[in-house]
Amino acid sequence: MSESLIHSDSGSSPTVLLIDDSQFVHRLLDARLRDESIELRSAADGRRGVELAREDPPALILLDLDMPVMDGFEALRELKDDPRTRDIPVIVLSGLNSSQDKVAAFDLGAVDFVTKPFELTELRARVRSSLRMYALLQMLAQKAQIDGLSELYNRQYFDTSLKGECERSMRHGQALSIAMIDIDHFKSINDTYGHPAGDSVISGVAKMITKQCRSIDTACRYGGEEFAIILPETGPVQAVQLCERIRVACEQLRWSRHPSRTVTVSIGIVGIGAGEGFSATPEAWVEAADRNLYSAKQAGRNRVKGTGIDGNTIDLAQAG
Amino acid sequence: MTLPDPSAFSLDINDPEDAELIQYFISVLPERVESIVAAFTNDDFDSLKRVAHQLKGAAPGFGFPTIGAEAGKLEQQLRSTGDPSEQIETLRSQVESLVSLCNSYINPS
Repeated sequence: MSESLIHSDSGSSPTVLLIDDSQFVHRLLDARLRDESIELRSAADGRRGVELAREDPPALILLDLDMPVMDGFEALRELKDDPRTRDIPVIVLSGLNSSQDKVAAFDLGAVDFVTKPFELTELRARVRSSLRMYALLQMLAQKAQIDGLSELYNRQYFDTSLKGECERSMRHGQALSIAMIDIDHFKSINDTYGHPAGDSVISGVAKMITKQCRSIDTACRYGGEEFAIILPETGPVQAVQLCERIRVACEQLRWSRHPSRTVTVSIGIVGIGAGEGFSATPEAWVEAADRNLYSAKQAGRNRVKGTGIDGNTIDLAQAG
Repeated sequence: MTLPDPSAFSLDINDPEDAELIQYFISVLPERVESIVAAFTNDDFDSLKRVAHQLKGAAPGFGFPTIGAEAGKLEQQLRSTGDPSEQIETLRSQVESLVSLCNSYINPS
């Protein structure tokens, strides 16, 4: 997982998908948008265009209205009906300067409407403006999923993501583990050193979690001083190993303002191996992990307790 | 291929990118003229409307606003006519003027 979850995608240029049945328009825009930092992809009819947009959603779609196979209105309807493509801005290109078409296109969710023949400078400006808007919307959407203090995903994102992972694991018999992490004696840290110190402990522990997680893991701030990690395609033994590294990293962390104070975490894990085919609701997963977290606390804190979702305990010697 | 009088285009023929677009348009124009003639001859008014519509939208961008305007007139005629076969003479004269305009770019005198 990257240091910061908020990335601007600055490495690659945004993709613009042109859906138009006229070869002329493809040739013209290919030449005229060459100097923009975009990657232009093409489809010759609405059906193919919608398929391409679903396979690999672009940052902007330029959509002709009058096309054979599937016309622009139908394509727009399909794009807006599908959650994968719903938020992609669509600029409608039309050879007919008709108010009725414009109103229909905007009603279906187009962000802009350009009449052919295009004024090229204007089209370029409209393309840029739509791309800018999309980048801002994406940033907002991403920020709405992120907890400001820890920079991990927030609780809402965790809930959505866990639901998806549970379903995937059930459907395909894939391994899955989840971990609940709680900072030990957090209240006493707050009471002794003040809330700013408590905040820096939360963000420090979050960094240790981020460091140990792999790109497929989803690390979240579950609430207060509690964190959760979803570990897809990972059985409980492997999850215990990864979480043990988090536990050790936290224990070894030295706090610049209070070098003598050690901050430890307790971790409860529950998981299932590949092909074991166990079905449980997301709530049941969280409850089971919470129970293990509770036993880790009961057993003296600063430890990792993991079981299979069926209740079989994973000990560290076995995991080791 | 020799290009006609530079002032005939709304693009700058001395700009490499513009020249490339002009050349491209002229190179595919014969094929479009054939489709127009074939569609008209076969009373295939839907195809005729489609080619006219595409030319109207694209030609100006390639530096050929006159072709765009002429194709636009043809498209308009086809759209406004209930039964195109009843207007065959009007359509014929529009098709002929569009085709001869296109040919004047394909074979500049």
